[in-house]
Amino acid sequence: MPAPRASALGLMLGLLVLAGCAATGPSAPSHELLPRAAVELVDVPFYPQERYQCGPAALAMMLDWSGTSVGSQALTDKLYIPARQGSLQPELVAQARQHQRLVYPIRGEPQALLDELAAGHPVLVLQNLALPWWPRWHYAVVIGYEPKRGELLLRSGTTKRHRIPLSTFLHTWARGNNWGIVTLRPGHIPATAEPGPYLAAAFDLEAAGLPEQAATAYRAGINQWPGHPGLRVALANHYYTAGRTLDAAEVLQQGVSAGAADGDLYNNLALLLADLGRWDQAEAAAQQAVRFGGPNSRQYQDTLAEVCRRYPEGGCAAETQPGWN
Amino acid sequence: MHLHTRLTRWLAALVGSVFLSFSLMLPSAQAAMIGTHALVQQEQLEQQRHELKQFLARDGIRDQLIAWGVNPDDARTRVDSLSAQEVAQMSERMQELPAGGDVLGAVVFIFLVLLVTDILGFTDIFPFVRSVRD
Repeated sequence: MPAPRASALGLMLGLLVLAGCAATGPSAPSHELLPRAAVELVDVPFYPQERYQCGPAALAMMLDWSGTSVGSQALTDKLYIPARQGSLQPELVAQARQHQRLVYPIRGEPQALLDELAAGHPVLVLQNLALPWWPRWHYAVVIGYEPKRGELLLRSGTTKRHRIPLSTFLHTWARGNNWGIVTLRPGHIPATAEPGPYLAAAFDLEAAGLPEQAATAYRAGINQWPGHPGLRVALANHYYTAGRTLDAAEVLQQGVSAGAADGDLYNNLALLLADLGRWDQAEAAAQQAVRFGGPNSRQYQDTLAEVCRRYPEGGCAAETQPGWN
Repeated sequence: MHLHTRLTRWLAALVGSVFLSFSLMLPSAQAAMIGTHALVQQEQLEQQRHELKQFLARDGIRDQLIAWGVNPDDARTRVDSLSAQEVAQMSERMQELPAGGDVLGAVVFIFLVLLVTDILGFTDIFPFVRSVRD
């Protein structure tokens, strides 16, 4: 097999030349950001980090700002991994959630960072202060931006107001894979949130054993994106799990009225209505789900069959059509 | 010792049958409800597909695909036929994309582009990649 190997190598070398500039394109820091007002979130407290403990210190600042008081020492005990001389991102996230905060990872773009700042939300970021092959990881909290000087303000290490040129910051941030999160009280929505990732962030609360906080987040999400079916399905599932079938059905029916229904929503609505003994409506909803189709269409057909099977007085009006996809 | 083993077995059987009867008793509605977890996974899959397509549409990548005689539209269409697992696998590679423009970054970049096109079945360079077209 020497021939393919050689040609593969040739191809790679050729591409190396080609790609030299391509790799720099998308992430080159740019100052052509929208002009915006200076901002400094002075309410964010400052805990100077002890040696190596920037993770717990940064998270404590975020949590205190959002209204939960935890000392950075308490977090250090839980987060700091002596062998690694630091903390890991998933553990920071899990700890924030344990303190009942919605954790939303922002898009790794300067624009998203500045939008969150402008909305009054500090952003916890991971930087690599050194080089990719000799990393020095560091967590800091971005609390301000001064467009005139092109500088960001960070609570970082032992410095309360660390000034850093935007372009320098963007380089260190890029080497940290542009990782940044906002931690908000459930019910508050990140300025840069999109419904899909927001739903995931809210569900993470539920998965962490905080169903009420998750429900609060779902409700806020429905207000923000009335047309998004997933958030309504999530809230309805929450009610259903809590034994509140009627509330669950109502949430979904409001979705139908608001024009925010999809196959999943109709599917669940059909089963809830069947549980409530509202057979006509259940059948209609199941038919709607089947009409939507999509990746779960098989499940929708099962639902329709199930509703028809349980329908008392002799089954559904319209027979299920076999082979109807 | 014998008694201990027998007791353990007996307990296991008991626990097993309790679980089984519980699962049989589950209300039928629950069996077919679309759960929130599944919903979130589906959203994430769509998001990842979207990001993959955006990656393939990036200037540098597009040009390279064309240089290899690959129609960028075909590549996009092929992303739709990737399974959830394949999308996740590719998406993981995307996370590793170098952010800076240094030399090391360029090498890793090419490696990843080739990996992606291997998975999509346009190239066949790495023996450990099984193309979706196989």
